[in-house]
Order: sequence, then structure tokens, then C-alpha cells
Amino acid sequence: MDFGATLLPILASGLAVGAIYALIGVTYNTMYSTSRVMSFTSGQLGMLGGVLGSLFILRLGMPLIVGFVLTIMACAIVGVVTEFIAVRPVLKSLDQHLYVLSTLALALMIQQFTAIEWSTEPQPFPRLFGLGSGSFDEKFWLPVAACAFTIGALELMQRHTLVGRAFLAVSEDNFAARSLGLPERNLRIASYALAGAIGGLAGFAGGELMLAFFANGGQYNFYGFVPVALGGLGNNRGSIVGGLALGLFQQAANFLVGGVFASVAVFIAFIIVLLAAPQGLFGTSTARRV
Amino acid sequence: MTVETTTSVTGLRNRPFGAARSERWSQLAPYAALAAIAAVLPWIGNEYWAVIGTRAAIYWVLVAGLNLIVGFAGQLAIGYVALLTLGAYTTSVLVAGNVIPAVPLPLAFGAATVIGAVFGLVVGLPALRLRTFYFAMSTLGFATIVTQIALAWKSVTGGGIGIVAPEFPAPFNTPWGFYGFCLIVAAIATWMSANVAHSRFGRALVAIRDAEVAAEANGISKVQFLVPVFLLGGAMAGIAGGLFATLQTYVTPDAFTFDLSVLFFIAILIGGRGSILGPLLGTILLTILPEFAAPLAAWSTFLYAVLLLVIVLAVPGGIADLIDFKNRRPLTDAREIQPQPALLSRVIARQPGSQPLSLRNVVLAFGGVRALDGLDLDVQPGRVHGLIGPNGSGKTTALNVISGYYAPQNGSVALGGATLELGHPESRASHGIARTFQTPRIVGEASVLENVMIGATVTGRATFLETLLALPRRATDERVLKAKATAALTAVGLETLADIRANRLQHSELRFVEIARALMLSPAFLLLDEPAAGLSADEIDRLGSLITEISRQGTGVLLVEHHADLIFAICERVTVLNLGRVLAEGAAAEIRVHKEVVSAYLGA
Amino acid sequence: MPTLAPEIPIPGTSPQVLLDVQSVEAGYGKIGVLHGVSITVYAGEVVSLLGPNGAGKTTLLRAISGLLPLTGGRLRFDARDITGSGPRETARAGLVHVIEGHRVFTQQTIADNMLLAGYDVPRRERALRIEQALAYFPEIASRLQVLGGALSGGQQQMLVVAQGLVRRPRLLMLDEPSAGLAPVLVDRVLDVIGELKQQGTAILLVEQLVEKAISRSDRVYAITRGRIVLEAAAATPDLPRRLEHAYFGHTDAAIPPAV
Repeated sequence: MDFGATLLPILASGLAVGAIYALIGVTYNTMYSTSRVMSFTSGQLGMLGGVLGSLFILRLGMPLIVGFVLTIMACAIVGVVTEFIAVRPVLKSLDQHLYVLSTLALALMIQQFTAIEWSTEPQPFPRLFGLGSGSFDEKFWLPVAACAFTIGALELMQRHTLVGRAFLAVSEDNFAARSLGLPERNLRIASYALAGAIGGLAGFAGGELMLAFFANGGQYNFYGFVPVALGGLGNNRGSIVGGLALGLFQQAANFLVGGVFASVAVFIAFIIVLLAAPQGLFGTSTARRV
Repeated sequence: MTVETTTSVTGLRNRPFGAARSERWSQLAPYAALAAIAAVLPWIGNEYWAVIGTRAAIYWVLVAGLNLIVGFAGQLAIGYVALLTLGAYTTSVLVAGNVIPAVPLPLAFGAATVIGAVFGLVVGLPALRLRTFYFAMSTLGFATIVTQIALAWKSVTGGGIGIVAPEFPAPFNTPWGFYGFCLIVAAIATWMSANVAHSRFGRALVAIRDAEVAAEANGISKVQFLVPVFLLGGAMAGIAGGLFATLQTYVTPDAFTFDLSVLFFIAILIGGRGSILGPLLGTILLTILPEFAAPLAAWSTFLYAVLLLVIVLAVPGGIADLIDFKNRRPLTDAREIQPQPALLSRVIARQPGSQPLSLRNVVLAFGGVRALDGLDLDVQPGRVHGLIGPNGSGKTTALNVISGYYAPQNGSVALGGATLELGHPESRASHGIARTFQTPRIVGEASVLENVMIGATVTGRATFLETLLALPRRATDERVLKAKATAALTAVGLETLADIRANRLQHSELRFVEIARALMLSPAFLLLDEPAAGLSADEIDRLGSLITEISRQGTGVLLVEHHADLIFAICERVTVLNLGRVLAEGAAAEIRVHKEVVSAYLGA
Repeated sequence: MPTLAPEIPIPGTSPQVLLDVQSVEAGYGKIGVLHGVSITVYAGEVVSLLGPNGAGKTTLLRAISGLLPLTGGRLRFDARDITGSGPRETARAGLVHVIEGHRVFTQQTIADNMLLAGYDVPRRERALRIEQALAYFPEIASRLQVLGGALSGGQQQMLVVAQGLVRRPRLLMLDEPSAGLAPVLVDRVLDVIGELKQQGTAILLVEQLVEKAISRSDRVYAITRGRIVLEAAAATPDLPRRLEHAYFGHTDAAIPPAV
């Protein structure tokens, strides 16, 4: 196989989309950790990161840094809105799975609103730095850098800040955390804001590759969930490994056999792995039902 | 205890004979009204209305099947548009003859039905193992992929350009003719889904949705009950797809957007889970709504989503709840449970068995903690056996091992000579082992009578196909189950609440409902997990007489209970557990004065 | 049902009511567990709450600390109405609940577990308070970097009690601190109660080990089926017999003959 012509582009684009999927997976996990809810808005946040970046920087002509900060802040707000509208009201009845419906409804609202008010066609995303070309273009390595930055920042936060430890505590044993007097509700809201920012960062960093397109939301929802399912719920490292593997697999199949069959292959692999290991490849079963 | 006629507590006095028939008519009246409206439509509307009416009918053919999956079984299949797509392309491609020689229209529809059923099952399979959100995601992924394939597989589907849909022969080739045809198919779909819904299959699906653990204890296995419904739902979606193609006259991938999936899904939720009329009204409503609000057409999916959110947060019960006037009538607060143990013989009526239920050397550890550490236990038929001990001593764990929820690492559970399969809760009902739960596990949205009928699901004779087509054995099943459930409710003293939705009952009443449900099996052994918790002193006394009488009918009762006075009042033998082992076992009177037991049980 | 014992005077000066629980009702969903429970804890005293399994002891502690919402009744702590307060507010007020089952955060070190307990404590004071709380348990104070999940049950119990002490509680509620502990460790953990009492901390103790609980208490309450059925000084001579009596709710003569 010709390294320069085939392998390198596969590697570059595979790692890039894989990093985006991995970050969406982290978005799912961050929301899940404090609320035990998987939210369909995770992928939409990624889509918004691309659309808002394009809106602020290209259409409204803001400087890069201002556009970036505004995008992340707006996505964090959407995260908090998710918590208020679609999560908190159904937390009391988690076993009825109403959250699947409430977050799906909110995700559809976000997606439809974007389609109508933004565009139903993919719109260009600004060239951010103009660094690199070919397989080393920034559009390939920016998502990877964003992914590495996020993981590093999350690890630092969990190891070295009290808030980070409190997140871990709430996620491990919500009841014990409440009995200690930890502000469980505020921590949950904060985790949704954080998830929003991570999702927004994924979409912004991947904007040059995936463009500002409303339908990315649905794609991100599914392909971002695959690494979560494979890696085990709430397991960020599993999501990163799963996301990068998924990206490489998908892009290799894309180059070698064509896009549709790549999608089919991903889907079939997803179902088979899940049926064989419902807890994910790195997850553990803990639930007692009776 | 005296047997006296209980006074009516709900205001629904014992109804005269014939009231049941009039109730049946009042149930059918809305459908008759809809049929009448549909029948006069050709005389009052133009051909544009014919298209809208046809579309609503076609959607309903799909939704009627999907409703059993989403509304009844609670499986969140959100990508059902994929099966509509499959059906549409199957008929179009087969009739067009661009792959294999053209086939006649009926045969093409037959093929669409089969392919729909097969893929309905394939899409459904993950639901048998995966958690809700995973299943929702996998159906979503499937929908995305079917559209992509339709776009890319140009030689078969014509890609983005599409393919011509089959045309119907006269007299169905006019808008009103085709409307009539679709109406008939929709009527049949309604009839079939109602046949399933009002049968042991329908009740089992609802039990899987709302009380999965209890469903297993009643012998309802997900595979056995979900697979036929997935096949049916897929088949109906396939047929709907074929009709949809003809309505469109030309089939392209962009006709099958995800918005359609959302529409189907929301129609069911607006309608209300576990109802047929509700989702039917929901489908009609959602089909005609955009026609009235043309300027908002672009926003229709957005509005559907808003509607979905509002329903989930504000009216989880949907339309069906809003039109359920029967359950609006207030119940009187001061109602008493008056069991009539003397009537138990009608329910249980079993030959006194002679085979004990025995546990041998059962070891079960969670992580490093040995919840059961070599437990031996023998429960004799026709006796009440008490199982007591401090918190964490393994009482409920023992119950869960017997009823198959936990598979011990070592040891055996046997009923007489037959060894029971470890860790298979759904297999216990057929062995005649029934149980209740610490927290009553009841289908809140079903009536009390339906809840009790769930207990005898495994004794039904009619197969799914017989049920679907309303063959005679379905009616026999229904009659037998209903009579037995009424008898069981009368025996536990709740017959006046039979028609009430179970989630309106008090906690203590739900405990007796669970016992009635367990009695439906005429169980050889009945496992009761803290049945007295939350009951008043009077209720506990009545519970005691009821349990004693149950054992006199030949049923062995294993009673896990904290109320020491109840244990010593009704148990013949008592086993005391501590740290997963038997601390003492003997006649109740011996145990009552056993110094070590008193100190361990009371904790000193 | 035995009549409640008259108010028992606390030795020393006029007692100050610290916790006043009035006709509290609470439960889970439709299940009512507490049916009008009233108890009082005076400043600086040790009170045991005894009763058989499922009587409502844990539920009562949860209702007091706000982990479980009340469906009726009122709560006063330190002369302030705390009805409807959440666990965060009650902990801030000095009413600390150490829940049953020594639920430490297994993925975090002892040091981090202690820091979490001081989440609301001003940063400057946090280290000092943690040090003082750990002083009661040298066994774990020397192993600060060990993960909570690597501790034995007894050490985990010490850790959760130490977590509670970081708040400098005026009333510490301990739910079955002895459960699942080896006998040596049981005394080790329960002996801390005496030390805390000397510091002026009031204790409300739920224990299965009745004799050990009584020996460390000033007063006891007995609860069955969600109702208080006995209140007595811990020094009452025939207390064990009276307790047993209260639990079964019947006189011996009423016990049915064996069948």
C-alpha cells in the first residue's frame, strides 16, 4: 500500500473524525456521570459548535478568539438548558426512561431550529490558523489537539481541584455525596455546562473538516454514542480509545470500499459488539435488580 | 373470620347482568364514529382530502403495529421509518422488474410483508438484551443506514432519482378507490392489534414495560413475547410501506425522512401508552394538523418535538388519560380490605402435593461478601414456613435464589425430584412457584383485574397467531382467566376495585393485589417477601388468616417477615438466618424461646 | 403498648433541647414508614434509637437530616426550624448524618475523602479541621494516600465517622456504625462516642448491638412499625426485658401456642 497516497490520508482523517466522536462520547459521559442520563443533545452540541463558530466568525465577522469563546459559552448554556428542561423534571422517574424522550425532543428542536434559521445546506467554516497542508492540515490535527487538551484538562481537574473530586464523588455514590452535604444539584448543573463546552469544542475544532451543517447533529449523536457503548458508560478513557478506533475503521472502510458500506460495517460491528458485551468492552456489570 | 357481603366502596355497585355488554358498546362507539366519518368523507371532501385520508390510514397501519412495541411493550423503537422505506422499495422494485422479472402486485405485497417482518425482528433483537437508550440508538442507526443504502444502491433503487411505484388495478386506481382500500387495511390492522392488546399477550407486553421483574416471576420471557410482536410490527410497517409507495407514485429516499419516524413515535405518545384509540386519534391529528397550519409546515417537526416534550413532562398519560373518565371518579378513602379466605378453594384448587422445595448448600457471594454461605432449607407443601433474621442475613437473597433472580455459585434448588435451573426467573412459574415482592411490583396503568390476570399468563392456551385472528381459543382463555382473577380478587377482598387503575390504590391494597396475582398460578409454593410491611395491625391480622388458609389449600408458603408476631402467629416452622447461614430451625414455639435467636434477631 | 416513661431529667444544669422532632411522618413513595414520630435530643447527651429491622430507624435519621422529604410533622434544631431543609443546610447547621454501610468514595484517597467532607468549610480552616477529625483515628490518619476502596470495613467506618467530624457537629447521627465490623473494631468505633460526648457533642445512635448501644447511652428510644413505643433512661434496671416486650407488642400470654 502506498503510504503517502492511501495510508496517511486514512490515518489523518481517521484520527480527526475519531477525536470528534471521542469528544462527543466524553460529552455523553460527563452528563451521565452526575445524572445517570444519556442525552440525545450531546451530538447536537457538537453540531452547534460548528454552526455557531461559522456564524460568529464568518457571518458576523468577529475575531477568532471572541467567536471561539462565545461559541463555547453558548454551548455551555445549551448544556444547562438541557439539564433544566429535559433532565431535571424526569430525574425522579429514571426507571421509566422518560429522559430518552425528553432529550430526544430537545435535540430535535435544536436541530430543526438550526435547519430553518441557519441553513439546510452545509455552510463553510472559517480557516482558523492556516497552518499545515495535505494530511498535516490543521483541519486534521485540530480535533486531535482539542481531544488531547480536553482529556488533560479533565484529568487535572479531577486530580487537583476539589470540584473535580466532588464530580467523581457524586458520580460514584450520589446518596453518600448528598449526605456529606455536597451541593449535588449545583454540581449536576455544572457538569451539564461542562458537557456543553466539551461538545461545542468538538464541533468547533472539527468545523473545518465537517463544516457548519445542521445534519451533523444526528451523525454525531450516533457515532459519538458508539465509543461510549463500546467503552462502557461513564468511562472516558474507553470512549477515547473507542472513538479513535471507530474513526480509523470508518475512514479506512471509506477509502477502501466506499462510504455506504463503511456505515453499514460500523453499524453491524456496533450491534454485534453490544449483543456480545452489553456492558461495553471496558465496562463492568454492577446492577442488582431485585 | 366471617364471610359477609362487602359493601361497594367505589360507587360501582355490583353491576346488573348486561352492563358488561353496554360497556363493550361504549368502548366500540369511538371506532364506529371514526368509521362513519371516514365513510362520509368522499361525499363531503375533494380529492385532496382523499390523499390526506389515505395518508392517515397508511400511517395508522404502521402505527397500529408499532404501538404494540412502543405503547404496550415500552420498547423505544424510534427509527421505524426504515421499515416503511424497506416496504416501499420492496413493492416498487419487484413490480417494476428492474432486478428480477416483474412480479404481480399481491405477490410484491407478500414479499414486503415478509421482508418487513424479518427486518422488524432484526431491528428488534437488540431490545432483548440492551438497555433502553442503546436500543433507541440502534434503531436510529438502522434508519440512517437504510436511507444511505437507498441512495447509494442505484442499480436497484434508482438512487436519488428514485423508482416508479406500483399502480393498483381498478377500482382502486382512483384517489377515492385507493382511499377505500387503505381504509379497509387500516380497519383490519386495528382489529388485529386490538385482538393482541386485549389478550394475555397484550398484558404480558405491558408487564414487560412497567414491571419487568414481576413479569419474569410470572413466567413472561422477553423473547417469547417480544419476538412475535416485532414480527407483526415489521410486517405491518412493510405493508404500510407498499401502500405509501403507491400513494407517492414515485419513491425517492428523501420521502423517508427521520421526521416521519418522529411523527409515528409522537402519535403513540400523544395517544397514550397502552391504548389503541389514543394513538389512532394521535395519528389522525398529526396527519391533518400541518394541512390546517400551512404557513407552519416548515416548522412541523419542530412543533412535533415541542409537543413531545410537553407530553413527556406534563401529560405522560397522553390523550388516553384525558379521555379516561372512568378513572376520574374519586375512590372513597375509608375502604377496608376484607379477605374471604373461605373462597380460596375456588382459586387454588390443587391436589395436595407431597414434594418439598429444598435448597442444598447454597453459596452466593457478591464481591467478597458471602450473602448465602452454605444454606440448607426445606419448605414443606401445605405449611407456612417463616424465614427471619437480622438485616443482611440473606433472607431476601434466599428468596431470589429460589425464584431464579440470582444464580448461586454453588448448591442446588430442587422441587421434589426436579432440580430447578439456577438463574432463570421466567422458568419458575411453570414449576408452580409464585412470589410477591418487598415493594409491590404492579402495572400501575393497568386495571387491578388485568394485573391479577397477568399472574396466569403461562396457563393461556391460544397461540399468538390464534390471538391475532381472534380464533376461539383466545375467547376461552379470556373467559377462564377473567373468572379466575375475579375469584382471586374476591378471596383477597379487593373485588370491588377490579376495574380501577392499579396506581390509584393504596400501598396496602397493592400488597393484596400481588398475592391475588400470585394465586393465579394455583402455586405449589408461594414466596412472600415482607408482605406485612406498611400494613396496619388489623390488616396484618387479616393477612395472617389469608396466608394460613392458602397453606391449607395445599400451597407451601415461605414467609420472609420482620413482624415477629405475625411469624409466630401463623408459621409452623421457622428458620433463623444469620450471616447467610441457618442459626436455628424448628417449630415456631421452640424458636420463640430460643435464647440465641431472640438475641440475634433482636440484636443484642 | 407501654406508656411512655416520664421526662427523664438530665443531670447537671437545666437541659437545652438540641433536636426536637415533632410528629414526623415520612416514607418511600406510597409506603408510609414513619407514623408520627416524636423524639428529643438534649445538648451533649447520647441517645440510642433501637428497634427491630424495618422499624423505621434509618428512615427517621434520613428524615431528620433532610435526605428524605417529610410528609408531615416538624423539625427544630438548635432552636431553629429546619423542617424542609436539605442535607446541605442541616450539615451546615451542625447536624451531621453518617449514613449506614460505610459508603466511602472508593476511587479516591483518604485525604480526598476528607477534603470532600470539608467542601463547604472555608479553605483556611479545612486542613486544621481535617487534622482534628483524623486525630480520633490514628489508624487511618497515617495512610492518607490509600484509596478508600482499599480499606477494610472497619477502616471505612472510621473514615466516614471522621468525615462527619470535619463539620464539627453539635449532633452526630450514626447509623449502624458496627454493621459488618469485626468485634474488636466495633468497640474501637463505638468508644469514640464517649470521647465525642466529653467534647460536648450530642450523639443519636442507631445500633443493632443493643447492649453495647445501651452501655454508651444516656437514654434510649425504641421504635417499631414507625412508632416510638418506649422511652427510657439507659440505666433502667430491666431495660432489655422491657425492650423485647415493646418490640413484640404483645404480652407473653398472647403468644400463640405452637401449631
